[in-house]
This record gives sequence, C-alpha cells and structure tokens, in this order.
Amino acid sequence: MENDELVQNMLLELRRGTLSIAVLSQLNEEEYGYSLLKALSDKGLEVDQSTLYPLLRRLESQGLLQSDWRIVDEARPRRYYVISAQGKAVLSKLKQEWSVMAETMQKMLS
Amino acid sequence: MSLVDRYVAEVGRHLPEKDRSDIEAEIRSTIEDMLEERKDASKPADEKMVADTLEELGDPQLLASKYAPPKRYLIGPDWYEVYVKSLQRVLITALPVVAAVMFVLTLTKAPLDFVDAVGEAVGSAFNVGVQILFWVTIVFVFLERSDEVPYESPRQASRKWTVAQLPKLPKTRQISISETVMNIASIAFLLIWIVLPFTLARFRGESSPVPFLHPNLWNFWLPIFFILMSLTLIHEVFKLKIGNWTPALMATNVILGLSSIIYIVALVTTQELVNPAFLATLGNSAELHKLREVITWSIDISAAVIVGTCVWSIVNSIRLARQLKQKS
Repeated sequence: MENDELVQNMLLELRRGTLSIAVLSQLNEEEYGYSLLKALSDKGLEVDQSTLYPLLRRLESQGLLQSDWRIVDEARPRRYYVISAQGKAVLSKLKQEWSVMAETMQKMLS
Repeated sequence: MSLVDRYVAEVGRHLPEKDRSDIEAEIRSTIEDMLEERKDASKPADEKMVADTLEELGDPQLLASKYAPPKRYLIGPDWYEVYVKSLQRVLITALPVVAAVMFVLTLTKAPLDFVDAVGEAVGSAFNVGVQILFWVTIVFVFLERSDEVPYESPRQASRKWTVAQLPKLPKTRQISISETVMNIASIAFLLIWIVLPFTLARFRGESSPVPFLHPNLWNFWLPIFFILMSLTLIHEVFKLKIGNWTPALMATNVILGLSSIIYIVALVTTQELVNPAFLATLGNSAELHKLREVITWSIDISAAVIVGTCVWSIVNSIRLARQLKQKS
C-alpha cells in the first residue's frame, strides 16, 4: 500500500520530465490540444488532459512552440500548436541527451 | 450548453486576469472536440454525455491551478528565515520593556498591589506580542508577493559561481545581543523603580506615602547605587556594541563587579535598609516581628545572589577574554 504510493509518486516525476520531450517530438505537424492528446495516446503515452494543455502553453511561453487560432478544413476555429525553430534546436539537443541517458540506465539496470 | 458554460466560467474564475479569456476559449474548444468525438452524427450531445466529458477533464479548480500555480503559502522559503529572525529580535526587545513599564506604572497606582502589577505586565506583554506578530507577518506577506528577494539577484549570481560569492561568516560574538538587551532593560527598570518614590512605598489613607527604603540611605548609599548602576548601564551598551570580551571590556567588567560586591556587602552589613516607619504600617508587634525576620532574610538572600552573579560574571569575562586572546 505504502509502496504503491511511493511508486506512483516516482512515476509521476519520471513522466513529468519526459513529457515535454514527447510533446515537442510530436509537433512537427501542427496539432490542436485534443488531437495531440489522441496522437500521444495512439503511440502509447496516456497523458492527463489537465497536464497536457497547461504544458502546451508553458512551452509556447518559453518560445519552443508557436500557436495560432485557425480554421482548418472548414471546421470550428481551434488553437493549433507547432514546434518553433528554437524548439527544434532544443529538441535535437534533448534527443541526444535522452539516448545517452537511456543507454546509461539500460546498462545500470541490466 | 449551460453545463459547459459553468465549467469554463469556474476554470476562468481561478485563472489570472491576463490570459483568462484566451485559456477559456481554448478549453471550450477542447470540450467541443471531445463532445464531437463522442456523439453520433445523428443525435446531438445530451446532458449525460456533457457531464461525462467534463468529469473526464476533471476538477476545474485543479485544471486552472496547473495553468498558473498560485502561491499557497503566506511566507515562502525566500523570506521565512528573515521573517523568523525579525520577529525574534522585535519580540525580545519590545516585550521586556513593555512588561517592565506596565509593571512600574501599575505599582504607582494606589494601593500597592504586586499581583495586580504582575498581571498587568504579563497581560500587556501578551497583547503587544500578538500585535507585533500580526503586523510583522502582514509586512512579510506583502514582501513575499513583491518582486523583492532578501539576497542579491540570485539568477545573475548563479550563472558563474566562484568562491568569492561565498558570504562572509557572520561575526562571532561572545556576548549575545539578547543577553545585553535584557541586562539594559532590567537595570533601567530597577533605576526607575527605586527613583519613583511611590513604587517602594505604602499608602495610608490620605497621608503621604511611607517609603519602603530607609530615608537615611538617600544621603550616601542610594546616590552611590545610582552611580554604580549608571556605569553598569554604559558598560552594557559597550558590551552590546563591541560584542567580544576585549581586554578593556574585561577590565571594566572586573572593576564594576568588584565594586558592586564591596558595595552590596558593605550595605547589607552596616546599614538598616527598611524604613521602620514602613514596617510600622504593616501590623501589630507580633506580626511585625515575623515580618521583619522575613524581610531581613530575603534581603540577605538577594544580596548573596547578587554577589554570586557578580563573581560569576567576573570569572566568565576573564575566561572568555583569555579565549579571545588565544584565538587572535
């Protein structure tokens, strides 16, 4: 019981760190909040909506994403997010760091 | 759509004014996306479906808090330490003074009543303490919410850290501030207490007060006492300012201490301290005899305590002065 709680907390921290990378990596093509949620979920990453939408705005305010209210395919206006030039630079750096870290962890845990 | 309106409004209520309308629009748009996916093409969304959708989004307050985490504390770690220190400093200085002043003021009121005076002193110290606590806290709550921080711009400093940025060790003091402040307050209190003629006196009907101390003492012994106390007071101020037992400070302390010991011993052994007229006001002869014994006894005890304190102070100052010399 107590262990479950500890594991849950640690998982939460683990996810929080990786979620930004996942979001940046999925925004080469523009997406709106809900479509991004679906895209992440299709790839196996279940994200809480109340985590995802604020994160999008935070990444935008950091200059890693750009967003726009737009009408696509004659639908309702939606806010579309896409990765910025700065976001691309940051993402490629993060990708390198990630593979090093993944390799290190793999070695450590095997 | 009233449920959606209510949900969006509830989120918006907890958002900062600045980007409220924009976030509200985005959330509304998201809810519509979710509803669109759920409903069949044929029939419109019903109440139940809307409720399910909103519940999936979750507690609106929680959602809003993730956009703009509010400060859920009065005073944060940046200011906490400064806050506690300020409180301590103000309370330690103010409360003894307030208590002493109230004690004296109450004693000056006839009839003489020690219990009343102690109650008055404790009560007003408590009230002032609560006031200080409240106002100091309010000040720090505002500081916490300002852009001020109690140290130099941390972000610039942390960019390239060098050992030069290490703060200097706080000046070490052998003599604590609170101790000297306490001493000064109690000497001041003692002086006021003795000078005011009514405080150590007993009232009898309409006539003038009968002083507790023997009137003869005013010719020589009390003036000497005031001189000694004044010198001690000045000495305490220097202790406060210098903070360490320098040779000069230690020498003054030894001289003052020895003078006090000589004075007290001489006073108690050669002089009658209590005004016979004062004793006469207290009751009949049998009681008086007992009372006189109690008074003499407590004067002797007090004198012994004062002499003991002086001896300890002298020894301690010599010891610490030696330590200081070895260190430097």
